Amino acid sequence: MELLNQDPHFKMGCVLCHKGNAKVIKKEEAHKGVVKRPSDNLRSCVVCHKKITDNYAKSLHYTTAGQRNGVMPRFSAEELKTFDEKVFEKSCRSCHASCGDCHVKGAPVGGISIGLVAKHKFVKKDEGKTCAFCHGGRVYPEYTGDYGGSPDVHYQKGMLCMDCHKKAEFHGDGTAYASKNSVKQRPSCRNCHKPGNEAKLTAQVAHREHDGKVTCYGCHSGAAYRNCNDCHGGHSAANPGMILGKNPRDKKTLTTLRLIPTVRDTFAPAGIKMENFDALPNYWDTPAHNIRKRTDRTRNCDTCHVDRKNFLTKEMLIKNGSKANDDLIFVPKPINR
Amino acid sequence: MKTLKLWKVLLVFLLVLLPAAVFAQISGPIVSTDDLEKNLTNPKVVVLDVRKVEEYRAGHIPGAVNVTYGSWAIKKGDLLNELPPLDDLSEVIGNAGINKDSLVVIVGKTDKVPDQFDMTRVAWTLKYLGVPNVAILSGGQNQWVKEKKPLSQDMVKAKAKPFKASITAKLYVNKAYVMDNLGKATIIDTRAPAFYQAKEKLPFVPKLGRIKGAVNLPVGALYTPEGLYKDKAALAALAEKAAGNDPAKEMILYCDTGKTCTAWALILTDMLGYKNVKVYDGSSMEWLADPAAPSEP
Repeated sequence: MELLNQDPHFKMGCVLCHKGNAKVIKKEEAHKGVVKRPSDNLRSCVVCHKKITDNYAKSLHYTTAGQRNGVMPRFSAEELKTFDEKVFEKSCRSCHASCGDCHVKGAPVGGISIGLVAKHKFVKKDEGKTCAFCHGGRVYPEYTGDYGGSPDVHYQKGMLCMDCHKKAEFHGDGTAYASKNSVKQRPSCRNCHKPGNEAKLTAQVAHREHDGKVTCYGCHSGAAYRNCNDCHGGHSAANPGMILGKNPRDKKTLTTLRLIPTVRDTFAPAGIKMENFDALPNYWDTPAHNIRKRTDRTRNCDTCHVDRKNFLTKEMLIKNGSKANDDLIFVPKPINR
Repeated sequence: MKTLKLWKVLLVFLLVLLPAAVFAQISGPIVSTDDLEKNLTNPKVVVLDVRKVEEYRAGHIPGAVNVTYGSWAIKKGDLLNELPPLDDLSEVIGNAGINKDSLVVIVGKTDKVPDQFDMTRVAWTLKYLGVPNVAILSGGQNQWVKEKKPLSQDMVKAKAKPFKASITAKLYVNKAYVMDNLGKATIIDTRAPAFYQAKEKLPFVPKLGRIKGAVNLPVGALYTPEGLYKDKAALAALAEKAAGNDPAKEMILYCDTGKTCTAWALILTDMLGYKNVKVYDGSSMEWLADPAAPSEP
């Protein structure tokens, strides 16, 4: 009763969202027409939260457009039609988050749900549960240090997801973006860390020398991270690790790469061969969430420039991978001292 | 004149002796919730909450600073609970407002038995790095909550203090050291008897067995059924039975990963007065993976 009195969502009773019939006592009759996940239909929320819901309907969390557009260049026009019909709507889109998935009950991921976030309270945010459940395959445990190595320095300082990722990233800003890479208001290290303010001269020099050539992750990613293929693959061997190579979106810069799970036969069960498979690489730039002030690379330049530790090599490439993978290999040069 | 003298004496009492009397009750290694509550405004006391950030944000002891356990012990290669780089650790300690003069009370959760040992591992690490006055909160955060003591959701940002680690005693030792001291030091296996007797093992420990010649002093024996530490006399009797009563004798403690054994290490040194206690950081995970390391049965 206390919960019912505290939250305006409950003032109108369960039927407001879940439908059914509150006037009868018998369970079978009362539950007739019950909607288990009311916010799957955004109209359930739009009555009171119009602005947010309108934005959300176009957000990447809801449309999952990034998944479709990310893989699209691998398909012929015919294949794309098949993909949209057989794969995207039935598989990828089933992952879209409804309002309730973050604010009431964890989304079912692979058929498993964390259940209610806080009994049936409507919670504004609880990153350790809601974000972590969907992004817990790699990002969250990477951030908290549960994969090994130290936790991300930002977590160590008490920061959680929403301290960097702002509300607009979750609810959208009203624009239907093609992928997260098109979103303008994304977190950036330089929002807080301005180059030139470093206390140590060595850090100043290192930042100046690598500016525009290496991303922050390239040097400050602190430990091995999980590659998507470690769980989703089954097609090729991949182990948690750190991979450094050219950014496929900007080949002038070196960054951390992650092996994604789309391999040649990924969509074979749907009859899609991926005629243009080689148009995209298997390794993609990744914002590793395990940032440290000091890493083996910041401690010693030779880690990269002599030992070439963690750099993508021809020998490391997955078997039968995309031909585009070769373009991501970068060989660092020794420093002229 | 006499009145002035009297006032002076009273002032000295108020400024020096009274606070000392109020704060005097805190002394390691186990601090009761009541004693900590009385010391929350003690400027020398740093309450260090080692739970996850999410747990800390949900509610913590007023004034407690948060440095999550993962900052104190990391996975290195195959080994769990290893020391992070010393420069990182020193920075973490200084940023938490801790220096060599601080009295650090460590607070962790005690939801499950293994959670208890986050606190003792951090305590041992602080001692190793040169912060001698450390204690852990009896029953941890759970006991504090159970007793309905005050909680805060304010993020506490400590005033950073310069700190440079100074390792004066080898409180953590490596495999080579243990190897060199087999037959000289008392090797203490702090795992449960079934593990010591090679009847059980954890999945990540490579094989059944123990270090050759080790005696058993299980960490489970430290606690009452309520999960609080037993009293000094009871713990002293347990320690003496397993490890003898020579306070100068070198003792090397180990467990599965080098974490749970720190509970006995802390009790043996800071409560029972044993002077030469060390922790083998690699513990069973490392020792039992090496065919050249003598084990039994």
